[in-house]
Amino acid sequence: MPRTTVLESPGCPPLRALTTDILGLVKVVEARTNPAGAAKVVETWGEPDASRAIVAASLADRAADPVLAMARKNGVVELLNPLNGDALAAVKTVGPASDDGSAEGDPLVALHLFTRQASDSMLGTFIACTDKGKASIRSIMKENAASGSDAGPSTTWDVCSGGNVQFCSVDHGESYAMFGGKGIEVNLWDISSCSKTWSAKSPRANSLGIFTRPWFTAGTFLCKDDHRKIVACTNNHQVRLYDTSLQRRPAISVDFREAPIKAVAADPNGHNVYIGTGTGDLASFDMRTGKLLGCYIGKCSGSIRSIVRHPELPLIASCGLDSYLRIWDTNTRQLLSAVFLKQHLTTVVIDSHFSVEAPVETNSKQPEFLVEAEAEVRKEKKSKTIEEDEAEAEVQLEKKKKKKKESKTVEEDVAEVRKEKKKKSRTTEENEERHSDEMCTTKRRKSGERSKCMKKKSKKQHAA
Amino acid sequence: MAKEKKRKQPASDSAPPQGDEGEGRRERKGKKAKKDKAEAILPSQIKNKDKRSELHAKLKREKKAEKRKLARERSQAIRRAEELGEQPPERQVPRTIENTREPDETVCRPDDQELFAGNDADEFNDVLKQHIIPKVLITTCRFNSGRGPAFIEELMQVIPNSHYVKRGTYELKKIVEYAKNRDFTSLIVVHTNRREPDALLIIGLPDGPTAHFKLSKLVLRKDIKNHGNPTSHKPELVLNNFTTRLGHRVGRMIQSLFPQDPNFRGRRVVTFHNQRDYIFFRHHRYIFETKESKVASKDKKAKTSESKSQPEKQVICRLQECGPRFTLKLLTLQHGTFDTKSGEYEWVHKPDMDTSRRRFFL
Repeated sequence: MPRTTVLESPGCPPLRALTTDILGLVKVVEARTNPAGAAKVVETWGEPDASRAIVAASLADRAADPVLAMARKNGVVELLNPLNGDALAAVKTVGPASDDGSAEGDPLVALHLFTRQASDSMLGTFIACTDKGKASIRSIMKENAASGSDAGPSTTWDVCSGGNVQFCSVDHGESYAMFGGKGIEVNLWDISSCSKTWSAKSPRANSLGIFTRPWFTAGTFLCKDDHRKIVACTNNHQVRLYDTSLQRRPAISVDFREAPIKAVAADPNGHNVYIGTGTGDLASFDMRTGKLLGCYIGKCSGSIRSIVRHPELPLIASCGLDSYLRIWDTNTRQLLSAVFLKQHLTTVVIDSHFSVEAPVETNSKQPEFLVEAEAEVRKEKKSKTIEEDEAEAEVQLEKKKKKKKESKTVEEDVAEVRKEKKKKSRTTEENEERHSDEMCTTKRRKSGERSKCMKKKSKKQHAA
Repeated sequence: MAKEKKRKQPASDSAPPQGDEGEGRRERKGKKAKKDKAEAILPSQIKNKDKRSELHAKLKREKKAEKRKLARERSQAIRRAEELGEQPPERQVPRTIENTREPDETVCRPDDQELFAGNDADEFNDVLKQHIIPKVLITTCRFNSGRGPAFIEELMQVIPNSHYVKRGTYELKKIVEYAKNRDFTSLIVVHTNRREPDALLIIGLPDGPTAHFKLSKLVLRKDIKNHGNPTSHKPELVLNNFTTRLGHRVGRMIQSLFPQDPNFRGRRVVTFHNQRDYIFFRHHRYIFETKESKVASKDKKAKTSESKSQPEKQVICRLQECGPRFTLKLLTLQHGTFDTKSGEYEWVHKPDMDTSRRRFFL
């Protein structure tokens, strides 16, 4: 018999991720509790067009009114509603410098959309950086979003004089931005005053007196509440930790394999980072000691372009040139799910508020609850054979009415339960995955029980 | 055969009773008991080598006979169906490693609109849509000797509009720049090791991917028996079995080496046949011939009566192999041109992918 190996993926908890690719498409991948496990492509937004390839994307991950910003190859920054894919705004040029058709020579490379909102009239504020180092902050007002001609206040500054910027990262408090690239040392900028507060110094020449030119490919802030610790990755496969309060040279520098490091993401616990290389190796490091915690193994064969950590669940998602979106468990370092998305992917973002809101999910679940409820009702009926036919008919009629009401109440209950669970899961991060699994099962059970109780009550009432 | 069987069977039957009397008794009861016994005792359970090999030979003989019987039954069924004018029974398809290949979600489907959009956007589109005529630069590694030069000479006859440039001591990145400036569309590097070509690097220009192949089983033209000499016509191209997205991409890359308007008068075919991730290269000339005498003589051997009734002229196709013969295996596919230090790979062969014989990537 042919022996085929089946990749046993344990399945991932409910999750919603958005990926962008080189054809300018945005694909929404969702994993649900029902049917459990595999993640699937739910929606695809946009028309395939190579000239509108998405080079960078950023999600303002808010419970209410989330916005997805995408930087296209032709210099347009678009704002989307990540829930339904409606285009909110499109800004043609990045800065005043690129007005005169220089967008081709100076493409966008990095984009960050701010999560905090200055006012309700503001649609969003983003910081974009071009290849030549022109960083600009622009905010888009809701009124003139459609026209996109003038988009609120904007500031522009030059990050560097020469070299190519390759990444831009903004800290959790969103008051500092970091830039780096080919020939550019890591720079820390104060966003509010647009002034450079710190820049790195390249490490000393090695024992042979060879001095390597700076070439940073990825970087991130290590801690949520501390903008002073920076992890930057270089093209010559080094992971460096800079402490801006301490010195300008790296505090820790670790080599990882042979391939250039292309992506990095920090863990919310404040000391772990996840890195991805140009040959498709994914690993996690503990930056307190600089030790390799382990590699993520699972037939990943193409360069990793983007890694993102789920803010609550112990998950990371990675994507890259092998056109797979892979979701990994950070505790066990196992592959939970892999989705083939057909194009070279550039960025992945996770919508962490998926399980809380998700009107789609509850809708899909509703019929099941009804079926379950009906089944239970039938069982009860079998036990009570004394009831007469007419009475039964009446009961059924009323039940139907009640069911409708109940289904609504059930939904609310589910939402409540979820919120409660969410809070709990936030407090206990360690066994989160188990929790989430339980979440899926207990939720249903509880709701089922509740509906049962309700039904009994209704029956009693009727009998009375 | 039947006689032999009869002769040998008693001998083999008589052998076991020496060891055990109880079994000998059972045998006399009938054939059923014999079969049970054969199932019960495996050759590996017998310690005496003579007896073990005897039993083994017997089992093998039985198996062979069984097989022959089944084959005969099948052929009879087909003949019977033919006589009755019915549909012949379905032919059994042997189970091979390829047709039991692991299901792969990346296999290209003809109804995939994204695939075509991706094709239109990729690096080879200009060449394949005939906006640009392909122009290929062939070079070698630094120390080229042995069969390398001969191989390159033949490769230049295979690929039209190809130019050889001496490698010298230039870096490959410099050569890529050089080729870009001169509007080459592809760059082929033949790498030799110990005077044997062992790797092939195909670089799409100006920004196309870089494919690194392992080259093996190289047979040059002069070592092929009854080989032909290719003409300078533009060849036809046959690409077989490039099914997955990766295979599709590699296939398009190979396609972009050749001009897209073949001279059919030249009757030259270049074949890249993918089987189990190995790409076999062959180069043929073909000819359609109307030959009466040969067809008649062949038929005479088989059925003398029918040959007269058949039309005497029959078009047959003959193949003559020319040019080199070699096998490629994809090792890496790199995004962008050759860059080992800071390159991003679209696909790298890693040992942890080789956990199944039935998983193929092309």
